[in-house]
Amino acid sequence: MIKILKVSYMLSLVLLTAQVKAQQKRVSGTVVDEKGEPLAGVNIVIEGTHRGTATDFDGKYTVEASSGQKLTFSYVGYQSVSRSVGESNTLNIQLYPVSKELAEVVAVAYGTRKKNEIVGSVASIDAKTLQKQQTTDIATAIQGNVPGLTVIQSGGQPGSKPTIRIRGIGSINASADPLVIVNGVPYNGHLNNISDNEVESMNILKDASATALYGSRGANGVILITTKRGKRNSTPQVSVRVSQGLSDPAVSFHKVLGARSYMEYFWEAMRNKELYIGDDKPKPGAATKAQKAKAAQKATDELIPTLGYNPYGTLEKPVGTDGKTLPGAQLLWDTDWKKALISDQAFRKDYQLNISGGGDRTTYALSGSYLKQDGSVIRSNFERFTTRLDLRSQVKDWLQLGLNTDLTNSYQNNPTQAGGAIRNPMLWVYGVSSVYPVYKRNPSGQLIYDYKGNKILDYGDERPQAAMPNKNPLGVLYDDDIKYNRSHTGINGFAAVDLLKELQFKTQLSYAQYLFDVEEYFNSEHGDAAPVQGRVTKRRDIYKTLDFINSINYKKQLGHHNLEAQALMEAYDLYYDKLTAAAEGYLPGVKALTAGTKPTEASGNPVEERLVSYMVHALYNYNSKYFLDASFRQDGSTRFSPDTRWGNFYAVGGSWILSYESFIQRIDFISFLKLKASYGELGNNKMLSGSSDWYFPYTVQYSTGFSQLDQIGVIQGGAVDPNLKWEKTASFNAGVEFGLFKDRLSGSFEYYNKKSIDLLYEKPLPLSGGAESLTTNVGAVRNYGYEVSLNSVNLRNPNFEWRTGINFSIDKNEIVELTQKEFISGSKKWQVGRSLYDFFIREWAGVDPDDGYGMWYKDVLDKAGKPTGKREKTKTYDEATRYYQNKRSIPDVQGGFNTDLRYKNFDLYALFNFSYGGYVYDSEYAGLMSSLSDAGSQGSPDLASRWQKKGDVTDVPLLLNSKNDFNVTSTRFLFKNNYIRLKALNIGYRLPQDFVRNMGLSALRFYLQGDNLWTYQSHKGIDPEQNLGGTTGDRSYLLRTISVGLNVEF
Amino acid sequence: MKKLFYTSILLLSIACSQDYLNEPKPTAQVSAEAVYGSRSGVEANISGILRLQRSLMIGRTIPDVCILSTLYMARSVKGADIIATNWYTYDYQHIFREATYRRSRFNWSFPYEIIRNANFLIEGVENSDKLSESDKKELAAQGYALRGFYYFQLAQEFQLTYTHDPNVPAPPIVTKPNQEDQPMSTLKDMYALITQDLEKAVADASTARLGKSYINKNVAAGILARVYQVMGGSDRASAYWAKAETMAHLAYGGNVAAALDANSYGDGFNDISNKEWIWGMPQTADQTAYYRTTPSSFSDPKRKKGIYVDKAFVDNFSHTDIRRLFIENKKAKPEYRTFTTNKFAFSFDADMVLMRTAEMILIEAEAKYWQGDETGAHDLLYELQQNRDPQAVKSSNTGTALLDEILLERRKELYLEIGTEWYDARRLQRGITRSAYHPSDIDLAPNDKRFYLKVPQDEIDANDQIDESVNSDR
Repeated sequence: MIKILKVSYMLSLVLLTAQVKAQQKRVSGTVVDEKGEPLAGVNIVIEGTHRGTATDFDGKYTVEASSGQKLTFSYVGYQSVSRSVGESNTLNIQLYPVSKELAEVVAVAYGTRKKNEIVGSVASIDAKTLQKQQTTDIATAIQGNVPGLTVIQSGGQPGSKPTIRIRGIGSINASADPLVIVNGVPYNGHLNNISDNEVESMNILKDASATALYGSRGANGVILITTKRGKRNSTPQVSVRVSQGLSDPAVSFHKVLGARSYMEYFWEAMRNKELYIGDDKPKPGAATKAQKAKAAQKATDELIPTLGYNPYGTLEKPVGTDGKTLPGAQLLWDTDWKKALISDQAFRKDYQLNISGGGDRTTYALSGSYLKQDGSVIRSNFERFTTRLDLRSQVKDWLQLGLNTDLTNSYQNNPTQAGGAIRNPMLWVYGVSSVYPVYKRNPSGQLIYDYKGNKILDYGDERPQAAMPNKNPLGVLYDDDIKYNRSHTGINGFAAVDLLKELQFKTQLSYAQYLFDVEEYFNSEHGDAAPVQGRVTKRRDIYKTLDFINSINYKKQLGHHNLEAQALMEAYDLYYDKLTAAAEGYLPGVKALTAGTKPTEASGNPVEERLVSYMVHALYNYNSKYFLDASFRQDGSTRFSPDTRWGNFYAVGGSWILSYESFIQRIDFISFLKLKASYGELGNNKMLSGSSDWYFPYTVQYSTGFSQLDQIGVIQGGAVDPNLKWEKTASFNAGVEFGLFKDRLSGSFEYYNKKSIDLLYEKPLPLSGGAESLTTNVGAVRNYGYEVSLNSVNLRNPNFEWRTGINFSIDKNEIVELTQKEFISGSKKWQVGRSLYDFFIREWAGVDPDDGYGMWYKDVLDKAGKPTGKREKTKTYDEATRYYQNKRSIPDVQGGFNTDLRYKNFDLYALFNFSYGGYVYDSEYAGLMSSLSDAGSQGSPDLASRWQKKGDVTDVPLLLNSKNDFNVTSTRFLFKNNYIRLKALNIGYRLPQDFVRNMGLSALRFYLQGDNLWTYQSHKGIDPEQNLGGTTGDRSYLLRTISVGLNVEF
Repeated sequence: MKKLFYTSILLLSIACSQDYLNEPKPTAQVSAEAVYGSRSGVEANISGILRLQRSLMIGRTIPDVCILSTLYMARSVKGADIIATNWYTYDYQHIFREATYRRSRFNWSFPYEIIRNANFLIEGVENSDKLSESDKKELAAQGYALRGFYYFQLAQEFQLTYTHDPNVPAPPIVTKPNQEDQPMSTLKDMYALITQDLEKAVADASTARLGKSYINKNVAAGILARVYQVMGGSDRASAYWAKAETMAHLAYGGNVAAALDANSYGDGFNDISNKEWIWGMPQTADQTAYYRTTPSSFSDPKRKKGIYVDKAFVDNFSHTDIRRLFIENKKAKPEYRTFTTNKFAFSFDADMVLMRTAEMILIEAEAKYWQGDETGAHDLLYELQQNRDPQAVKSSNTGTALLDEILLERRKELYLEIGTEWYDARRLQRGITRSAYHPSDIDLAPNDKRFYLKVPQDEIDANDQIDESVNSDR
């Protein structure tokens, strides 16, 4: 490090003394375009002065300048060129056109760069695209817009975080989330605290040359978010957007049984149990008439006592011995749990304000927004206020200062809506039969009211275990709270000092405080905390992030040689302090922690992570045609032991703009052509233990908190690998970018190959060792694939413009190295040559027509116990062999396409995203197809095709109210999961300009906006977006939202 | 300008210091050196392990497979005295023994988890250079006792009883922290380790202890008494019966009158300070297994959680027996739901019982019986019976009838505590017969396979020394 400093210091001294006074002379020449034709009207300015000239009709110019001074040649639509005046008095220049897109400046790691100078893979989403979608978490806007990305939104709680994977999955147990950088510094808040109207651009850095600058944090890609800034010398601009809409679940639910058919089916399940289960019972299908009659009678007699409730009121045996409901029997209730718990009219309100402008030296931008989005699970919602201010000033000619601050607050009513907790209303929709009432009823089935005349929730003491006795989901949603409050405050300031013309020093200091506050209230009268008269749990997590970056930037042009270099040092500190307190014993309705009679918990401890980095980065180009980019970074992280703490990361990349070569310029239809390649090695220092971050994974320690009454208790903290090191990823990228027919058709094609080694993995240990797993560096995974992106301007004239775009990627995941032959990980088995996401489960062999029992395949073994290659069917699930199904949970192809249409004042934008070739294991459906083994648990109408008598050929086993494995994990419930979704649709009308001006405005647009309006899916009943592993988890459904809005600018 | 440049260099080098990276340290953890560097450190480790027996803190939350008591509860419902139509239905129906089922997994992984901690404790204490030799002995004894106790559970859950055939495969033996994969052992090797560990524990443990949840000499002796009781089988010649008698006697102190307290039997079995309790798991409002407090959370009639009592079993209790704590609901449908028991009163801070004096008295009586001292056995039995029922009449039973009376007394005394009926049927190689009163009237023949579980699939998948064939004959 010290060496680097010395070199840069010496360099600057040399440059300081190299200033030579020189004589003025007359310089002249000709400026031609890429085809050698003279260019008229090219501006020529002597840098650092206001003097200059322009070319005449023949492209000729003459100007007074001294040698050493620099001339800048600029012309609209062409790349500017700077050249120093040398010995010669003649300076001929050729200018190359830039496509508009390539002239764009995009944010990259620790700076900005012109698009055509980028040698790596950087995808960009601008404010315009963001504003065409309704996001509560802006990260969802990436989906369908950028190739090579996997975005999965699990569940419908507004504001919940999507899973994002950039170019495959290079980690198993370490976090594979991309690094998020906001305005140059790592962001530790929740992304739902950033509103889309604050954002100028969101850039995705995918390859090594783009991410290596983040060293040990770059392996999973980087999302760079840049917020809005004012423009110099612009009039103040105010933009207001207002929209309101309604949301409901985006896809339809699985169908479930009504009370009447449930009771008939359950009667049959009871009858079958009586008939077939137990010692000395006949085989299914072989029962005598008398046996059947006896069993039927028992089922009829015990149906109501077993279910515990009778929706037919006083009719004691509503289902006859023929298994049919008695004629004339009237249901007093037939609960539709979905209707009771899921709203199809959730509101959305979104108000946004942006003000920006700038003077000669100072610019400003202020954004503010308010969003309220209700979820489809009743009572779930998300509410957010954001403000952000960006100020920049050129204080002196050599000094620029800037400050960006944000203050956001979000509130989330976040009732559990995924997973196996009884609180999860989805478990009720798919788990609890319609025979159980929502509200209390008297023995004759009539509703009972309290003294205020309100219905009383039924807590179901008599419900059997599977129907969740002593619980009521509405009680959970209305009487209990799970509230999240997130507030983020950040101050991010910088100072840039021009030390010399070519040398700039920049220092950036940012501090952010993120507060995550959870308030859980479980009421005193019913449910989990009733025996202790209610419980309040308060959790307060404080994250303090300090990031300090100092860099020296050097820029020099010598003839056609352009060099940029950067030396940088970064110190990062995250202080994370957790505090939890709980108390019990509350009066009804009282929710303040302090009002509890008995404090029951006070816990918490701070952890801290630090990172120190040194980085050098050099860029070189020759004549803007050949580019080279190299970087080296050294990181030291507190997550590893002092011995394994430091890591080196680097990347090199190059590109060649062929379209500036004369042999390509001769080809008429090619307007732009660029080849690029990069290679680098990066790290991933994120450790996970379970789902939470792990700050000291290398330490062999004893965990505190296991007190036995008032004796302090510590236990050994599980198996630990003291030599744990970070994952490394070697990443190669090659691609071509092109523009054809004057850029009417443009696009790119890229190939990537990433090998991630030393993967952190919770290696399963034999249970007999007493520790279930060991987190260690195990094996390697390769992710490779192709990304295609195509954009076309199909029609373009003053009245009508139509653009389309498509992007997709084919991503492959392959295990290339394991330290042992194979691992079984849930429904997957990991083997070299296989993907991490290859299903390895038992194979369903259908239903035996003789007895209605489900069957699976198993290997026929030879005498030595080796498989003979033959298979047979078995009715014992445990005996069945698990097989690779050649089906993966991750798709073969995924991507999106969009179309953008403008006719006069109307505009239309549509974005579709799709996924093809993945599979999903639907355990919700499996639950509904349980053969009614447990009393009270809901079933599917598909049970209609169950086996009923000997000879029935069907895929649905007999109904059986006894433990069976018919619906345990097997290919029976593994489904194709292809889908296409209309992710965004935006139709707008812009009022005529004259009319708007008269109103004193500069623009006025009405629009209709729909999100997830339409979904095609190969497997219906669940949302196609579940998780990477392709397993469901009783998640609520993504929202479909339709809104109307208004956008005013003045 | 130059000044600024120098300043920038200075700024760049500020954080070069390694100290910046060495500063952050774990705050919620302590090192092994600190734990095994003092007596109080080791005691904290022992406390932690005891807490682990009843803790939901490490992600175990499924109600029937979470704490030590759930292992006993599963045994309790496998007999004929108790009916379960709740989380324990599958155990009750004897169908919860497959390799992929959570019962098999938990009854395997839970003991091994405690054994791992005991192995760390034993090694840490014995290798410590900061502890006195006498401290080492006394503290390590608690580790040995725990290890013996949990291997004893494994031996019972995953194989038939010792006297049936000691040479059959039993779960792997792991005696060192972080040992490599171990193959299946034999029952013989496993019982050799169990007796060795527990004998050491009885010899070295102190009679004093930090609380009644800790293992002292009496507790270690009580565990060992159970082990010898199993090893003695129904063999009158077995030397283990004499040892069982000694250990049981040591465990309860030898004074029957002083060891029993009839008046508190009906107090709800939720207070560890009860003088009949030798060993238990305490709970408080902030240290609780919540609704996993077992068995009370399931059996307390107020909770309506589907635990019923067999009518024939109820009929064994005279109306003056203080243990007759049943509630009769004559209108119950179906009929098997008629009787529930008030023995265990549920609350979040209800303590959970692991060992009581009455059990030890009955082991002593049984040991006397097997050794031929029927009079001694009968007297001891009657002393207990009198305590429980003021109107008890001494029976005229001798021989097998006397043994059966002792076994029935064990069931009456200990129902829903430690799975007595299942435990006795296993060790004496008897069957279990349920009447048609039961919703699941399945009978178990002596040494039925359903008396033990299959080796969990996760063990087979991860252990290089065990393959699928381990379950082929299970």
